[in-house]
Amino acid sequence: MKTAQILGTVFGLIFVADTITAQTPSVQQNSAQSIPGCLLEDRFFEDEVWAKVGERTCLRCHNEKGEAAESAFRLLKPDLTASDSTWLAQNKSAFETMARSAEGDDSRLLLKATGQLDHGGGEVLKADSTGLRILQRFVRQLNQQDTRQPEDDMSKESAAAAFFNDLTMLTPDRRLRRITLSLSGRLPTTTELDEVRQNGDAAVAAILERVFQEDAFYERLKEGFNDIFLTIGIEDNAETLLSYHHFEKTRLWYQHWDFSNLPEAERERAGWKLADVYRDALLQEPLRMIEYIVRNDRPFTEIATADYIMVSPHSARGYGIFESIKDQFKNPEDPFEYIPAKLPALTGRDGKTQESATGLYPHAGFLSMFHYLRRYPSTETNRNRLRARMFYQHFLGIDIMQLAPRSTDASAVAAKYEIPTMQAPDCVVCHRTIDPVSSIFQDFDFEGHVIPRKDGWYKDMFQAGFEGEDMPPSERWRAPQWLAERTVKDPRFAIAMVEHVYYILFGRKTLQPPDDIDDRHFAARRRAYLAQRRQIESTARELADSGFNLKTAFRSLIAADFYQVDGLQAVAMNPDRGAELDDIGIVRLLSPEQLERKLKAIFGKAWGRLDGETKILYGGIDFISITERNADPSGAMGAIQRILANDVACYHVARDFRRETSERLLFSTIEPSVVPGDDMSNQRIRQTIVSLHQRVLGQDLVAEDPEIERTFQLFTGIVEDANAQGRFEPRETYFCGGREEFRTEDPLYTIRAWRGVVTYLLRQHSFLYE
Amino acid sequence: MLRRNFLHLCNAVGLGLAAPIDIDSVLRADELKKTEAAGYPGPYYVVFNASGGWDTTYLMDPKGVDGINRLYQQGEILTEGAHRFAPTAKHIEKGMSNEDFFTKYGNELRTLNGLDLSVNNHTPCARYMATGKLDSTNFPTFPALVAACHGADAPLAFLTFGNYSATGNLVPMSRVPYLQSLNLLAKADFVEGNERAPYHDPFVSARIEKALQEQFDARVSSVRLPRVERSQSMLYSAQVNSKALQRVVPFIPKQQAKERLAQQADIALASFKAGVCISANLSIGQFDSHNNNDTDQMKLIPEFLAGIDYVLKRAEELQIREKLVVVMQSEMGRTPTYNNGNGKDHWSINSIMFLGPGIGGNRVIGATDEKQQLTPVDAKTLTTNDQTGVRIRPEHIHDALRRLAGIAEHPISKQFPLLVPPGEGLSELWAG
Repeated sequence: MKTAQILGTVFGLIFVADTITAQTPSVQQNSAQSIPGCLLEDRFFEDEVWAKVGERTCLRCHNEKGEAAESAFRLLKPDLTASDSTWLAQNKSAFETMARSAEGDDSRLLLKATGQLDHGGGEVLKADSTGLRILQRFVRQLNQQDTRQPEDDMSKESAAAAFFNDLTMLTPDRRLRRITLSLSGRLPTTTELDEVRQNGDAAVAAILERVFQEDAFYERLKEGFNDIFLTIGIEDNAETLLSYHHFEKTRLWYQHWDFSNLPEAERERAGWKLADVYRDALLQEPLRMIEYIVRNDRPFTEIATADYIMVSPHSARGYGIFESIKDQFKNPEDPFEYIPAKLPALTGRDGKTQESATGLYPHAGFLSMFHYLRRYPSTETNRNRLRARMFYQHFLGIDIMQLAPRSTDASAVAAKYEIPTMQAPDCVVCHRTIDPVSSIFQDFDFEGHVIPRKDGWYKDMFQAGFEGEDMPPSERWRAPQWLAERTVKDPRFAIAMVEHVYYILFGRKTLQPPDDIDDRHFAARRRAYLAQRRQIESTARELADSGFNLKTAFRSLIAADFYQVDGLQAVAMNPDRGAELDDIGIVRLLSPEQLERKLKAIFGKAWGRLDGETKILYGGIDFISITERNADPSGAMGAIQRILANDVACYHVARDFRRETSERLLFSTIEPSVVPGDDMSNQRIRQTIVSLHQRVLGQDLVAEDPEIERTFQLFTGIVEDANAQGRFEPRETYFCGGREEFRTEDPLYTIRAWRGVVTYLLRQHSFLYE
Repeated sequence: MLRRNFLHLCNAVGLGLAAPIDIDSVLRADELKKTEAAGYPGPYYVVFNASGGWDTTYLMDPKGVDGINRLYQQGEILTEGAHRFAPTAKHIEKGMSNEDFFTKYGNELRTLNGLDLSVNNHTPCARYMATGKLDSTNFPTFPALVAACHGADAPLAFLTFGNYSATGNLVPMSRVPYLQSLNLLAKADFVEGNERAPYHDPFVSARIEKALQEQFDARVSSVRLPRVERSQSMLYSAQVNSKALQRVVPFIPKQQAKERLAQQADIALASFKAGVCISANLSIGQFDSHNNNDTDQMKLIPEFLAGIDYVLKRAEELQIREKLVVVMQSEMGRTPTYNNGNGKDHWSINSIMFLGPGIGGNRVIGATDEKQQLTPVDAKTLTTNDQTGVRIRPEHIHDALRRLAGIAEHPISKQFPLLVPPGEGLSELWAG
């Protein structure tokens, strides 16, 4: 078996990703629906024999390209987007044939699985394992020795029901709010809401296209991709991305900047500021490339193949190319205007110029970008393997380290072989795939500079190549380009890109296949996994068909049921259905950055305190050592939520009442003089509460809704309690409106009661989660 | 058992969605109040991580033969009770020497040498050591699991300062980077933490909390998507239980310690003492000594031991020492040979040390030979046995840790089976 195939199966890529290039429309059905009638009666084969044994164990070798390709027992890989399940029927037939074939009194299927009859894969199922018991039962059923019905909690009707049948979906206007808040950090405009009320989904789709034109969308896009690539996370000063060897004379240009027009006392500070801006401009280059590609509808394959980098006037000076391209900038004084540019082949301090058939630096998107290579550095012993690992993860969606194959005795293997990574089967299985990619980067040093190793590249590792194809020596000067050309043709590339978009939209990674076949909800979890896989692969096909326009992936996933699920229709649900829906719904805890944007959208001003140390406390990341966001709130985060709710309400409520009614964001239909009591006043209070629920929480509730009633009771209860105190300060507190800048009188305690209401709303799930 | 633990339990046993339950009718209110008032009483769990891969032959598994160690020879190996250890006192500039560490703690220490990781890359090794499961990313780390079982409602139930920290979605992880952060968090209802400047009058705060509780209670009986149900429960718990952070304030040292582990330890210990934390991952990195192994290890191992010493001394001062279970580990060992850069590369044979309540000290289990290959161990007698012994792996250790923590049969633990083969359980691992 080729190692790439082993990796593919070991790492869960057991499906036929190369169907992405096919034109067949997506079929989003429950797997059971696509099965021929004869097989519907045999869920035991699909959910037990196939899902728990065939797919996970046998298919690794018994496929058309596998180690056991010549075996009579040959299986087909699942094709999730096919309109029928012929592959499943054929696999069932293969299993039946094998099971009926006997050696003496025993089925060959069982004998082979337990390592007998010279099985090439050895013992793949232990004697007392669940997998073997399943096969034993399969054989007994074939021989009509076991007539029990399959053990499945779900009724056939339930299993056959469409995956989203009993779920409710977001209304178009709520979907619009989700889109605008998530992708452009704003609330829908009144005009947009009117459009959606008139034209429904079509209007949502049209508005999404306009969102794609907004700068805020690209801020979100860059933020999302930085979570994935982490290229901002460079610890050193950014100018060190440019090697001393090649950019000695230019990378520190800011140190020689002429500040003679400034008073001498200000020059030092101006120099520091210039350096900071320059470093920021350099760090932004990779993400600016993503923005450039998507904004201009360029193929997203350029993330690997782009024959340019993005530079600003400041960063161009670092590379020493500013003078040659300055006319291309609209404003050469703007440090953050980025344009595509090509570097000439690099010339070192020794006067030697890197080999290049074009005279240019062989750009290959991120793969040749100093930022990316520095972010994932190497060492003498690592030999670029981290870079290879990240390449597989970022560009092909394979986490090599996720499910590392176990070695029987790794230390003995290491001691036995002179070069274990090339000789020991346990090691070769992965290194044959990883090390050729590592060797692709052989001309980059540990820090990502183009400085080949003095002693030449290591001979005791697999040489440069990709997925079994050796890179010709003549291509070495452009090795990253050679790799990129193959990468973007690999069907896994499109899937990986869709998974990145999924992460940005959903705030979490896609599901992994369930791995515990003894889990009583295994079948349900597998159905959930397959349903999501179908969506991902369908979207990947759309992406590829669109010429890799990444907006297509956003459109596709936003239109998908997965994005629109809002709740349950059913009043009760069996545990299997619960397991099936375990990951359904976006329901993501907003990141510190998203929360600040949401506050700005609702209140017109960000809180401004979810940065630095507080950002980390609130589950944020620093892109260097803390790289995974908290998905669930800890008590520490709960405390910050309380601070936020208290503080934001404190800042805004009294201020809002001080504005002209027409300019208020929160209280445009009520005055502090309105107190609970008569019907008219109560109605006005309720209407204000309805609008607050809508603005802050995105809830469209009627005045009689229990949630509105609860908030109403909170408001009236606070006013009652205040009056019951006998005496209270007749103005807002010093910090929330009682300062000299404006003194807010509050003789009826209503402003503070409204502040209590806003505090209450800001602590809610509907505000803190998407 | 607090509200959210109960919800977790419901989910674990499949009750959550099928059978809406009035929680307060199940949980006795007085028990709830008692637990909330007192906080988590212990035991507390601390996992020290030497991140990057320690050289066990310079600590608890000394060799001194065949060029495995350049700083000492076999004859220089020292002994303290049952422990043999490498001499380091004359090679270190600061921190705690092996000599001092084993002299001081050898009588409490239980050490296991010859722990088989089966792989030798950082990520899978770190995951394997932390969870006991090599081939799944869904498993929680031991500290996360024990926090989930014993008190997921504690506001800082599982603190982490690095290393592999997966939670299995059982309990939120808390990162508190600076000691003074605790002060801010503890006074969330006051402007800038100033207790003389509350945001709301007390009756307003009480009204807000009451409304939030009523809302939460109303939702319990409704049928929601699992993610919605889970996240609403977690959010409510996070906010309500965050108030318990006030209890931490008296135990926050006035000055921040200078050493890396001591900084982390002060936050963890104050949280333990206040009953708001069950477990903590403390970690320092840079052990990955591919170059200049001896220089790096002689700097880092003493720093690591000094950190452990700090925790134990400070726990003594806080009077929680007898409740502290300490696990000392690294994700891998280092090769028995030096590479061309005077470094040592990854080695899949490791060691681990423990001390704390329920753990018999002054004992070493397992062994490696002169080539740093492990010797199998008889699972029952814990003696080495080439013929019938088993290769002790992280799942064996985690199986034993779960039993030590009393969570082996907990429904949450059972969601994450370690699948130790019958007869291989180390039932006597902790015996005195």
